[in-house]
Amino acid sequence: MRLKDKLPLSYLLFTLRGRINRSTYWLVSVFIWSTFYVIHTLLYDGFGEGATYVLYPLLLGSLVATATKRLHDTNRSGYWLSVVLIPIVGAIWLIYRLGLRRGDKEKNVFGTVPNEAADYLKNDNGQPVPGGTTSERIINDVTHLNPVVVTDVFRPTSVAELQERIRTTTGPISVGGGRFSMGGQTASPNSLHIDMRGLNQVLQFSKEAKTIQVQTGIRWCDIQRYVDQHDLSIKIMQTYANFTVGGSLSVNVHGRYMGHGPLILSVRSIELVLADGSLVKASRTENPDIFFGAIGGYNGLGVIVSAELDLEDNIAVERQFQKLTYSDYRQYFFDSVRDNNEAVFHNGDMYPPAFTNMRAVTWVKTTKKPTVKTRLMPLRESYPLERYFMWAFTETMSGRWRREHIVDPLLYMSKPVHWRNYEAGYDVAELEPRSRSSRTYVLQEYFVPVRHFEEFAQKMSEIFNRYRVNVINVSVRHALPDAGSYLAWAREEVFAFVVYYKQRTNNVAKNEVAIWTRELIDTAVSVGGAYYLPYQPHATSEQFHQAYPNAKKLFAIKKKLDPDFRFRNVFWDTYYQL
Amino acid sequence: MLRLPILAVIMVVLAVFLFFRGKRNNLTIPAGKGCVVPKDWLVSNPHPVTPKEHIRPADQTFLTYPEWFLVHSPAEIADYAQIHTTTTFPYMSHVRQIWQSYGIMYDQIKEAFPFNTGYHIMIWVIGVSTTVEYALKALYETVVGRLTDPPNGDVVTDEDKFNAQFTQDYVDFIRELPWYEFDFTSRIPRLFRETSFWGPHFFRKCERKYMLLTELLVKAGYGYLIKLGTKAAYDEALLTTAVIVDKVPATLPAKSKSLKTYPDGSALLLLPRYEAFNPAASALVQQGVTFREIAGNNSALLLTTLGPESWQPNLPDFQVVFTQPILTKPGLKRVALVTTVGRLDKTIRYVQEQQVKIEHVYDY
Repeated sequence: MRLKDKLPLSYLLFTLRGRINRSTYWLVSVFIWSTFYVIHTLLYDGFGEGATYVLYPLLLGSLVATATKRLHDTNRSGYWLSVVLIPIVGAIWLIYRLGLRRGDKEKNVFGTVPNEAADYLKNDNGQPVPGGTTSERIINDVTHLNPVVVTDVFRPTSVAELQERIRTTTGPISVGGGRFSMGGQTASPNSLHIDMRGLNQVLQFSKEAKTIQVQTGIRWCDIQRYVDQHDLSIKIMQTYANFTVGGSLSVNVHGRYMGHGPLILSVRSIELVLADGSLVKASRTENPDIFFGAIGGYNGLGVIVSAELDLEDNIAVERQFQKLTYSDYRQYFFDSVRDNNEAVFHNGDMYPPAFTNMRAVTWVKTTKKPTVKTRLMPLRESYPLERYFMWAFTETMSGRWRREHIVDPLLYMSKPVHWRNYEAGYDVAELEPRSRSSRTYVLQEYFVPVRHFEEFAQKMSEIFNRYRVNVINVSVRHALPDAGSYLAWAREEVFAFVVYYKQRTNNVAKNEVAIWTRELIDTAVSVGGAYYLPYQPHATSEQFHQAYPNAKKLFAIKKKLDPDFRFRNVFWDTYYQL
Repeated sequence: MLRLPILAVIMVVLAVFLFFRGKRNNLTIPAGKGCVVPKDWLVSNPHPVTPKEHIRPADQTFLTYPEWFLVHSPAEIADYAQIHTTTTFPYMSHVRQIWQSYGIMYDQIKEAFPFNTGYHIMIWVIGVSTTVEYALKALYETVVGRLTDPPNGDVVTDEDKFNAQFTQDYVDFIRELPWYEFDFTSRIPRLFRETSFWGPHFFRKCERKYMLLTELLVKAGYGYLIKLGTKAAYDEALLTTAVIVDKVPATLPAKSKSLKTYPDGSALLLLPRYEAFNPAASALVQQGVTFREIAGNNSALLLTTLGPESWQPNLPDFQVVFTQPILTKPGLKRVALVTTVGRLDKTIRYVQEQQVKIEHVYDY
């Protein structure tokens, strides 16, 4: 939850800080005046004229406060309100300034653009442990389901500093960046937690060669801001731009890009700090074992500190869609999307609870003018509509039906044209519920060879309905094979089923999730597929090795490079130490 | 902050409810629903004797009421300003009274006469202007004026005295001439000349100077624009009203003249229009004169009277249309009567016998 959402209305009415835009000013003015009229009338009728004087401090205070905030929006201080003392001219000027003039488009000395977040949603720096030692911190991820107590948090600002710290210490180490994984992959109990977000520099950039080398604590949104000026775009990343590059590399993410697949396909080389503090470079030709073991390797071999990535042109893309049933999807996909050079993004959304109907959404190259004003996605302070829909889909009767038959058809009536960078710049904040304390939104993902799409979809639907899982969405994406990495989730061409669901946070609910998750994993494995690892470690060790047959090879490399088992997290604690 | 829009909607609904609750009915009390004037009174004169250039439409006797309310209202303000600061004047009630009485007037004529577009536009312009002016004043006085108002609303500052004088001069002026001809501009230097800078109630003095200066500047500017607009849109108004009377009176009222006498002894007289028409007509009635035509009309004619609250006029020669309490003078009420041109003498005599003041005769 962001700061503004927590603040009561009194913050808007009675403090002089910050900015508000025109529409908020009009709205709050209507509120103030109508409230004044109502209370004034009631006091007058009920207690007589004298009683109404108590309202004046409130009225004048709120008028001054809201007008000051509005003046801030156009970079004027609240002292300009005194202009009202000049008859007529002052009043007209103020009416224009307060009610009509558009606010500054950029941040000014009084604050950021109203309703626009200053930055992408971030996780905290670790909460102090009640009653713990001064250096102990609780490291949690975005779901708030995986609190882990670490002995200390270290935030290096240079690679040398990081090497020094690893060389001079001996204990376990966990590594985190944005911490958007959902199963404790960024922390291990009693480890030294390395917060990589301080290592966030662009090291090299070539517009001609379309490559960029970055420190891995940098976020994708930061890279977007950097390359966008050169009309370039990231070749492969996930939909949400909050993540750090290091985190995305360690889980080998994928997005909705057509003709690509796992992130590793866009990585030229990486640099790692190993357990002994040494720095090594790895690519497909130089130390390939480390390259294929570290990408998608959940920080088992070392700390990835830099990466060289491929870029592509930042083109305009237009949204198209097709409604169909899941049994027609594969044919449709192979006929008109897979080999279509114009297709840039693609996903197929399966509508719960039946998972029969799908909406296939493809963004294709276009020469049309983008329908959005900005090149990058503007960040919003709050997402009330998104939050409402999310609540309505998951908590109300026939919410899912309304989504499929009313809300989505309305949302898909327009034909937006976005920049490639814009469409890859979503903020995780739009998914955030008001509170995660009793219910939380969680992701899971299953990879299925393309030929088994229908079979898996059927079985998945049956499992979800049997366990009454509160599924919000299943989004289907496509990935080309990843021939190299040891923990490759796409050993052949696959469809990815991204499952977004809501669960309660009590232990009974958590156990129930574990049970149906294992059932789904078995189903995926039975058709030669896999499940994704950045989520809850519900899989048994046996299931893990069935889904990732090359894991043993990676374990062997880890044993060699990290003999003292320093690099840990929930993933390694669960499956390695047996 | 989704709460703000929800709260704003709730408060607006509550405010609208409070604004319209009950109150409106006792500010203007119609004598009945819809048209209360006998239908045969609501006709145009098919064969007027009055020369063409002196004839005015028959429905204008009703339509001039809202316009005249904008004289009655400042008159009430001017009276009030002599004893109270205008901070506590019930501006919004006057806004209600103007629109309510306009509605009642329109009810009387809407079926009998074709829609007089030009006149209605003019009423809307002045009605909306006045509504805005009064609403802004009510708002300002409630939010700012109240805080500086001397105890009991006493007129103690030079500025409030200046205001009393100015409103009185203004009313006296608009009884004769259009408001926009008033010289607001010359009052501005007078405002500073006739008031001291320092003195008791210093904040009141500053606040009133600010308020009066704003009012004078706005009215000077707005008056200038309206003057231009009126000249472009409407013909210059005639300042006389032609009447046909059954006999030539022994003495003609002031500012009147006789144009013509007819073989049956009747005569065509030219009386002053507007404010001065009422005393002129009353003077003729005292000499036993009966009217046959006023501005070419021989049908319904509106007049308003100011009488005590208990007064219940009743005579077959006229019909009460509505009553309005005079809010700042408790015990006094305005009664709007409709008679016909032929019965005007009887009506005037009746009202005068009852010791009730005729406020105005609406001479089309």
